[in-house]
Amino acid sequence: MSQSPEPAQRRVKRHFRNGPPDAEDQTRIALFLQSVKGLNASVLAKLEWQPMDWMPYRWLHSQYYREMELSTLVGRATQWSTQPLIYMEAAQISVDLWGRTQAARYLPGFFEVDKRFYSYLALSHAFMSVIRLLPVLPPSMDLETDPFLSALKAIEEENGRQIQTQIRLLKELDAGLSRQRREGIVEDQRQCVEGCFAQFLETLGQPPGATLEGVDD
Amino acid sequence: MPVFDHEGHAIYYELHGRERDPVITIVNGLSMRTGHWAPYFELLPARGCRVLTYDMVGQGASSKPILGADFDDQAEMLAALHVHLGIDFPYVLGISFGGVVALKYAISHPERIAGLIPVSTFSELDPQLEGHAQNLYQGLARVGFEFYLDLLMPLNFSNAYLASNRELTRIIKRVGASTNELYGIQNLMESLADFRSITPELATIRCPTLILHAEFDCLTPRHLHDIMRQHISTSRLVLVPRVCHAFTLEIPELTSRVLGDFVRSVESGEWQGDQSVWIAAEDPGAEPLLTRCEQDHLRAIPLPRDTGNAAAASVRASRAGRGSKAASGKTTPRRKAPRKVPPKG
Repeated sequence: MSQSPEPAQRRVKRHFRNGPPDAEDQTRIALFLQSVKGLNASVLAKLEWQPMDWMPYRWLHSQYYREMELSTLVGRATQWSTQPLIYMEAAQISVDLWGRTQAARYLPGFFEVDKRFYSYLALSHAFMSVIRLLPVLPPSMDLETDPFLSALKAIEEENGRQIQTQIRLLKELDAGLSRQRREGIVEDQRQCVEGCFAQFLETLGQPPGATLEGVDD
Repeated sequence: MPVFDHEGHAIYYELHGRERDPVITIVNGLSMRTGHWAPYFELLPARGCRVLTYDMVGQGASSKPILGADFDDQAEMLAALHVHLGIDFPYVLGISFGGVVALKYAISHPERIAGLIPVSTFSELDPQLEGHAQNLYQGLARVGFEFYLDLLMPLNFSNAYLASNRELTRIIKRVGASTNELYGIQNLMESLADFRSITPELATIRCPTLILHAEFDCLTPRHLHDIMRQHISTSRLVLVPRVCHAFTLEIPELTSRVLGDFVRSVESGEWQGDQSVWIAAEDPGAEPLLTRCEQDHLRAIPLPRDTGNAAAASVRASRAGRGSKAASGKTTPRRKAPRKVPPKG
């Protein structure tokens, strides 16, 4: 059983009642989102070498470019902090993200419609459905005028559109798995991403480096 | 947080009111959640009813299986929730999407229902509703959840409500977009893609049935409610004035009075399900609350029933005449041309 992000979401929600994310939190958010988008784009990149008439290619190839575009967008909109501990924390979270999701197993070779591909789709779906920052911002906060908040909104909207592809494929792809098995894979990946998201949320609003283990050693 | 675990799915629910009072179970509309019914948690107990609300699988705080659940699954989950809570004879109210679940429940569990309350809903899709459903789905999938809510707002609420709640509706949209899982709502909407008419099965419903429809509900139009009225022999249709599809959110005081009166009349044995049509007063305290509809309730133009029927009969006669004149060789006299009004100035 992985860690639920709900307690951290509640704390962060309270934190952002005091105002929009400052440079440190913006940097944390941007680095985490770029890490997630970077991971997904690393896997999606290889699809560009798969046959065009392979059905999932038609669905997924635009996601590769969209993920890179959104990563760039948040990068441009961020007020970057100069506090090095923020970057050390982000690096740790990124390493853990790759480790927890075992994303490296999706990198070698081409995809076939099998359990491994289904598992990647479920992971990609979880990235877009679990990792949501707008719900922790107060509903009264203006998302249109602040460039960073506006970028977060654009990313979530685009994630919402992209997720349709994953849903369609998860529902319709015949990977030789029973419905129960498919639901199990989807749930496992969701819990995994929830754990990663909870770990990231723990850093927001905290002093830089507070979540780093052994930083004083 | 009260949660019922059903075959691996967590179903979030809330139960308010006194234990011995009759229970009204409320089945949400598509993008609703339990919290939308908060005013009813006090209003209905004050009228002698206990109220059970829950988030369907795919909504709010309940599980959101990515592979989805259809209307039949939802009706079975509701039955299981009733069994779990020891509720034997609930009054089941379903609004819009939830109305179909309520109809399915009444059809499949006739032994476990005291009364049925379909609200702003349908037993079959007509081309307009099908078009709306497709637009909403495309809006959700291609543009985003906020746009989907933008499409719904003017269908759900009256002009008066929208004009006086501009800031609130903005917040409602943000909260809705933040708290809903897009794929959960999408899955629910996809139930509509596989939806087949259940109108032929309505005749099997024998429990007291109160059908509610808002005067300006253009999303689920009047004739779809009339189909339910015609096929459910124990039904009555009540028209709610000056409101739209989501009137339960806009006028909870009036709605809870209508519901409370319905439950009381059934419980006391006074209910007459005679397929008649009634109009609710605008004032929740009005006596009587309902008056018999004497007009043609299927028309938006407020013609008296006789005049309307006469007009319709005239059209029918005219058409029949055209059909028969070829055989008889007779011609129908031309209608007198309307007098032209000279332009002013």
